Amino acid sequence: MTQNDAGDSPPALRTDQLGRRYGRVWGLRDCTLEVPAGAIVGLVGPNGAGKTTLLEMIIGLLEPTEGELSVFGETSHSPMAARLARVSYVAQDHPLYRDFSIADMFHLGRSMNPSWDQALAQARMDALDIPLKRKVKSLSGGQRAQISLTMALAKRAPLLVLDEPVSSLDPIARLEFMREVMATAAESGLTVLIASHVVSELERLCDWLIVLTSGRVQLAGPADDLIAAHPLLTVPRATPDADLPGVIIQRTDSDRHSTVLVRADPARLAAQQHPAWQADPVSFEHLVLAYLQRPSARAATDDIAQAAARPGPSTKAVSR
Amino acid sequence: MIWVSWRQHRGQAISCLAVLAALAVYAILLGTSMRTAFGNDALTACLAHSQGTACPAAVQAFTNKFGSEVNIAFWAVTLIVPGLIGVLVGGSLIARELEYGTWRLAWSQTVPRARWLAVKLALVTGGLIVLGAAMTAVITWYRAPMDRLTGHLQHNIFDFEGLVLTAYILCAFGFAVLAGLLLRRSIPAMVAAFIPWLAIRLVIEFVFRDHFLAPLTTTVNCMQGGCGEGIGFVPQATGRIGDLVLSIQGNVVTYQPADRFWTFQFIEAGIFVALTAAALGATIWLLHRRAA
Amino acid sequence: MFRFRLDGSSGVPPYLQLVHQVRQSLLLGYLQEGDRLPTVKDVAGDLAINPNTVVKAYRQLEHEGLAGGRPGQGTFITATSSPALPEAQQALRVSLEEWLRAAEEAGLSSDEITALIAVARHDLKKEKVS
Repeated sequence: MTQNDAGDSPPALRTDQLGRRYGRVWGLRDCTLEVPAGAIVGLVGPNGAGKTTLLEMIIGLLEPTEGELSVFGETSHSPMAARLARVSYVAQDHPLYRDFSIADMFHLGRSMNPSWDQALAQARMDALDIPLKRKVKSLSGGQRAQISLTMALAKRAPLLVLDEPVSSLDPIARLEFMREVMATAAESGLTVLIASHVVSELERLCDWLIVLTSGRVQLAGPADDLIAAHPLLTVPRATPDADLPGVIIQRTDSDRHSTVLVRADPARLAAQQHPAWQADPVSFEHLVLAYLQRPSARAATDDIAQAAARPGPSTKAVSR
Repeated sequence: MIWVSWRQHRGQAISCLAVLAALAVYAILLGTSMRTAFGNDALTACLAHSQGTACPAAVQAFTNKFGSEVNIAFWAVTLIVPGLIGVLVGGSLIARELEYGTWRLAWSQTVPRARWLAVKLALVTGGLIVLGAAMTAVITWYRAPMDRLTGHLQHNIFDFEGLVLTAYILCAFGFAVLAGLLLRRSIPAMVAAFIPWLAIRLVIEFVFRDHFLAPLTTTVNCMQGGCGEGIGFVPQATGRIGDLVLSIQGNVVTYQPADRFWTFQFIEAGIFVALTAAALGATIWLLHRRAA
Repeated sequence: MFRFRLDGSSGVPPYLQLVHQVRQSLLLGYLQEGDRLPTVKDVAGDLAINPNTVVKAYRQLEHEGLAGGRPGQGTFITATSSPALPEAQQALRVSLEEWLRAAEEAGLSSDEITALIAVARHDLKKEKVS
């Protein structure tokens, strides 16, 4: 299933000036986003950037200090049970009750979630060939990750949040895990939010991107739109910054030439482009890394960023 | 949610049942032999028309035979076991979830964490009340013959009949649950709860209990004997079985009458239950605030 | 079922890799008219990639006239996969082979040939822009 046009269904996630303070330190500040239903979002940032803070507020494990948050229409003023029902969560270390059997874990799921789909849980265990009576502590790391994922999927919530889901898994287990997530997303239009600091894996997984550093959103929007808005220019070394269109994100100087990543819309670029310059599309990974490396500044709220954050059809034909 | 609470505490429930069973076995063995000895010594008939003064030798023989085991063994039991049960059950209730990170699983299901805690506390508290009542019943049954000679206002005996045993367990439990939330680790929470519990327990017993109500006084003629205090003397210096003698100065005996047993039970149990409610209330409030 | 593969380190965006593989297979005869391409769910679950990427690739193939979706049934190959190239391409192929022979005789290595082609294409593009 494809992303919905924003039309009538509420966005999967909307935040407005969302912030959270711990004592005197702001873990997250000025976070304003609108993620459409059906998107698969990569949330990237170094450790301590505010990823976990944002995730916990989305899940309902933490309350905002300021600003507004809504998940599929349920705000922080909605009843807690309604908020919790909108989100499934797989935490980083895949926590489970070690002395429970898998059947016990599913019984817990049934007991604590009105929307629990036991048939789905059972079917997944059959597909993975794991008997229900096995105890959690006898399972391998990869199997435990699959159980955690099953618990989250069987809850049948429209938003699935994964916090660094595969960092502790071997390559085969990683692949199996993400295969299941992607297949489920294809089938049910699930919205997925994956927090990760392994940028190289995200390109094939995500069509939406949020870059977070020092508690602030540096970049957010559909991946295709963001890449289209960030041409990678190869220019002569002597070219001054002022001549370059848009906002300079990263400039790398060699002896005779410079490579500059700018944020500029196509019209701006066409108006200012010099014949001697070469413009290429930036790669997903390069874009993310450039923003991660930027000395932290408040995220600019210029036209491009706002346009990127608005929902819209995602499958424009993009010439690469 | 009820099933989840039960399943998570199933192991503890089984251990508690085992403790209860062991206690019951001990009680039945000793209780039966006490009843036999009581019958053999014809103490029932003797007590019917005197306060034990008519058969001092039989009384002495009985109390010597069963007195020491009862007192010393049970001293340890009444002091430590209710506290241990309470902290072992309560210390890990919240702390274990925090220690192992399973709170991220437990509190992201569709049950708000306030309800999660309320159901758990209700179920476990209920279980502990049933356990306490059962333990009290077993001990009271077994001690019945001895109680007819000594009454049950005495220190030691008071601690495990009536209501207080259950209240001790609940208080230790409440302290441990709160400590678990604050310290986030099970074992430190158990220790941090047990120490103040024990301190309060000892202070209430030895500083306050004797004076829950103003004691009465009476004068006796000590020349005729029976001017003793404590369990070994039957009857007490007041001439009645069951009175708790606090002091004797000259001919004046200061004492608490036997019929105050239930009043004192309610007072002491009330103190511990109030402490339990305060600890659990604080826990619920703090957990609610944690997220905000 | 046709199985795709993904090369994570190639630098080519995933959706384009899928499109290329279909074009390639058509040329080589491994895909023929009427063949059904795997469902979006199958590809997403097989390669662990975003299902929207697969949708994008299939839309691109439709745009190029190579494949078409039948509602409720899936996506099917619509192009003919004749190994015989149309005349224009055949003529270009001949002149390309001549040029390559000439380049090799001039002493250019394989890498230099590739670089030369890239520069020429770049210059051509600049010409079009200015």
